[in-house]
Amino acid sequence: MNVDLPGKFELVAELEGHDDRAWHIAWNPTRNLLASCSADKTVRLYNFSSSTNQSDGTTNGLTFTHNTTIPTGHTKTVRAVAWSPSGKTLATASFDANIGIWAQEEDNEEAEDSPSGEWECMSLLEGHETECKSIAYSSTGTLLASCSRDKTVWIWEVHPDSDFECMGVLMEHTQDVKCVAWHPTEEILASASYDDTIKLYLDDPSDDWFCATTLTGHGSTVWTLAWEPLQGGYLASGSDDGTIRIWRRLPVKGELRFDCVAVLEGHDRSVYSISWSPSPPSVVVEGEQQCELGLLASTGGDGIVLIWQITETTEADSGKTVIEHKIVARIDAAHGVFDVNSIAWCPRTGLQDVLATTGDDGHVKVWKIHV
Amino acid sequence: MLVAHPDVQTEIRVDFSGSYYEVASNDLKSGAAPQKKLQTAEISLNDCLACSGCITSAESVLISMQSHTEVLNFLENNPEDICVSHKVPVLSIAPQCLASLAASISSSSTAAPVTLRQVLRRVEAFCKTVLGFTQVYDTTFARHIALLEHAKEYRERKAGVGQLPMLASACPGWVCYAEKTHAEMLPFISRTKSPQQVMGTLVKEWFGARWGKSPSQIYHVSVMPCYDKKLEASRQDFFNDVYSTRDVDCVITTGELDLMMRDKGWDLSKPVEGEDLEKDIGDTCHQNGDDIFLNDALPELVNHPGTSSGSYLHSLIANMVQNSPRPVDIDVKAMRSADYEEYTLTERESRTVVFRGAKCYGFRNLQNLVRKVGRDAGLQVGRGAAGKLAGLRGRGLKTRKGEVSAPEIYDYVEVMACPGGCINGGGQLRPPTITQNGGVDHEGFERDWQASGVQLDEEDIGRIQGQGAKWGDKEWTKKVELAYWQAGQPHDSEDVQLPKVNGIKNKTTAVDHASVQILRDLCKPKDLAAQSWLDSVDEEAETRRRKYFRTQYRAVESEVIGLAVKW
Repeated sequence: MNVDLPGKFELVAELEGHDDRAWHIAWNPTRNLLASCSADKTVRLYNFSSSTNQSDGTTNGLTFTHNTTIPTGHTKTVRAVAWSPSGKTLATASFDANIGIWAQEEDNEEAEDSPSGEWECMSLLEGHETECKSIAYSSTGTLLASCSRDKTVWIWEVHPDSDFECMGVLMEHTQDVKCVAWHPTEEILASASYDDTIKLYLDDPSDDWFCATTLTGHGSTVWTLAWEPLQGGYLASGSDDGTIRIWRRLPVKGELRFDCVAVLEGHDRSVYSISWSPSPPSVVVEGEQQCELGLLASTGGDGIVLIWQITETTEADSGKTVIEHKIVARIDAAHGVFDVNSIAWCPRTGLQDVLATTGDDGHVKVWKIHV
Repeated sequence: MLVAHPDVQTEIRVDFSGSYYEVASNDLKSGAAPQKKLQTAEISLNDCLACSGCITSAESVLISMQSHTEVLNFLENNPEDICVSHKVPVLSIAPQCLASLAASISSSSTAAPVTLRQVLRRVEAFCKTVLGFTQVYDTTFARHIALLEHAKEYRERKAGVGQLPMLASACPGWVCYAEKTHAEMLPFISRTKSPQQVMGTLVKEWFGARWGKSPSQIYHVSVMPCYDKKLEASRQDFFNDVYSTRDVDCVITTGELDLMMRDKGWDLSKPVEGEDLEKDIGDTCHQNGDDIFLNDALPELVNHPGTSSGSYLHSLIANMVQNSPRPVDIDVKAMRSADYEEYTLTERESRTVVFRGAKCYGFRNLQNLVRKVGRDAGLQVGRGAAGKLAGLRGRGLKTRKGEVSAPEIYDYVEVMACPGGCINGGGQLRPPTITQNGGVDHEGFERDWQASGVQLDEEDIGRIQGQGAKWGDKEWTKKVELAYWQAGQPHDSEDVQLPKVNGIKNKTTAVDHASVQILRDLCKPKDLAAQSWLDSVDEEAETRRRKYFRTQYRAVESEVIGLAVKW
């Protein structure tokens, strides 16, 4: 561990329970609920509660309790989970090529905010030929995207009563598609693939969804994507080439264009997962406008978790924008000798310095980052 | 998996995802070998149905065995016609291919647009004089028979024999997809043969008998807008065990025909003699039972108003409107795009819905159709997952609060896998001019890519057109659609049915007569007085009719991926 770094990791909880490698985690956006999925074909849900320090408003303790285990019924690994923005629906992506849509039985109307019923599969989305790798709800929750080893990206429209309409089948990648990620405010979808590229898709209102642009630069498989969460002016991508690239969206009217503005080197092996936390407001320093773009957490095959501070600096004279990045915290062997498969910042208010990771050890670890 | 190559110091490594890498062999053990990801050699049907991984390796072989070089090889090695082993070479071309060629000619010259008949004559001249084909036909008369049989099948299903909705079977991409991933859809798919396969029956069985040739003494090539037609022709159902021959021996695409013409220096934009003349198909005024056909001709360029993918839905609707005892109204509702339209027939007086149909094109719409048909029929759709996921189909419906209206179940759907239908098939010609940069090359010179012999593959077109280049250029598809309809009524969605119905009848009288003769000749009904294709015939004749004009489908287990997939 690099002792010179300002940031420190504090292990808050270690959650065991999966019988096989844990693939992915997702924080519920509206409730204190964390979901993890595994090769054991189950989804485990954990409740958590925090106590707040009265004097400075910081969080003292964070306690996790196992809420329930959904057996899912998927016949193969559950590779990814995603919550709808309402926090009421959970989607599971499985190697059995299917997507499950889960919601809690609402026993009575009053308990709508904290339903306690059993999680039931409300719908099954079929269509992928082979392993489904990733799944994501759009910011408004009206669209669901999925991708697969069959090289396709599918877009579904979410209808009432757990009904779905297929809006697009995008066959743009030449290889396995590893990850899909929606823009935080607009209906722009990004996908990352084993063909080393990233593709961005838009909806043509008079026609179908189409690939608007392709980002090339990574030297190997692109495993993971994360948008800068507030404006979505940047997209980060993590790759098998060990780097993370930051792509800036260019303000070109009527066109979707991105430039690679930074290559983050720090991992020894594949970067499997990245997560971007929101930033505090921007500050002006001596004729330069400095905009903190928040913290980017990354992990992968080397078992290391890195926390990067991303800063956008605009020079007052030239108007030139530069992206600066530095590692502010690092932990090695986050899951012992095991690969770390997934990382996610907690989106809940007051807990934005909390991070969860999953690994091949089947464990979920929750960390508090002191920067 | 390692595959050593004897001569070179590199080896091919296949990784867990099935990708191929070239690796310097002496570096293999170190694990850190410099590797080069290799282009996967694959015969891709991406242009067609584009559900990659849907074609099996056996099918790849079947497809590679059908190419224009295969046709040329055959023609070259075909013994003289005095030899017993000589085969009569016959070529049939689909009207969508003629439209693609017509649009291509029109776009590269300033002359008046060429008609489908002119293109047909020119293709015929090329095939007969340059390649040595004995006969050249278009497939519209075969389609006419397919449409009649299709209407008969619909009547049977409506009467309770078989299930509804009936789904069109002419698109082999859709049939192939359903057999592999949606076996539950198979009972709904029409068993009527596609026009290509009806043409196969006409050429091998009907013409064969007229010419005194066995099916194996005829070599039948069809030109199709679609790669999957190659798969269709290779189906076991269309193989004649007795004569060891197929109804269609080889299928080539429009693009492959175009390539052959270019290779042989044939200029399709040049008129040929008598290219506007209609062929005399025969004397249609003869009495029943007489041979009305003259020579070796079939009715040509039979027009079927409706869609450029074969007008399956519209011909059914026209048939129903014609035979309805009470006046009916037709409502057309576009669902988001022209690729998904619903047609409803309602009795004018009682407002009773007598028919619900849809036209559903493109892989995406097909997904929603499969979901809808499965849901309406209360089926578990797809391969399904075990356990808790199974059987939830019905459940979702039950939880709908306050919704009691019965689902609007379709009677018929014209399904095509390609967006835009067959006119935009994967085997069609690509747009010949470059739109993005106005056809100007790097040095600013105007450039006609086609004239300079530049063959653009899909990647080139995508690169040149840049952003927004999608599967099948929409503007180009429109031009091909226009070329398709210029021969007959323009395709105008407002005048689809009612005003045309009477017209259809008159125009097709001769063709219907010819069809009935085919029925008589091939199925040999005891009662020769049959006036219409839809008339019932005796049991033995019915058995023959099913053999000649219907087919079957079967679920195909997808190839199991034996690799332990980690990712």
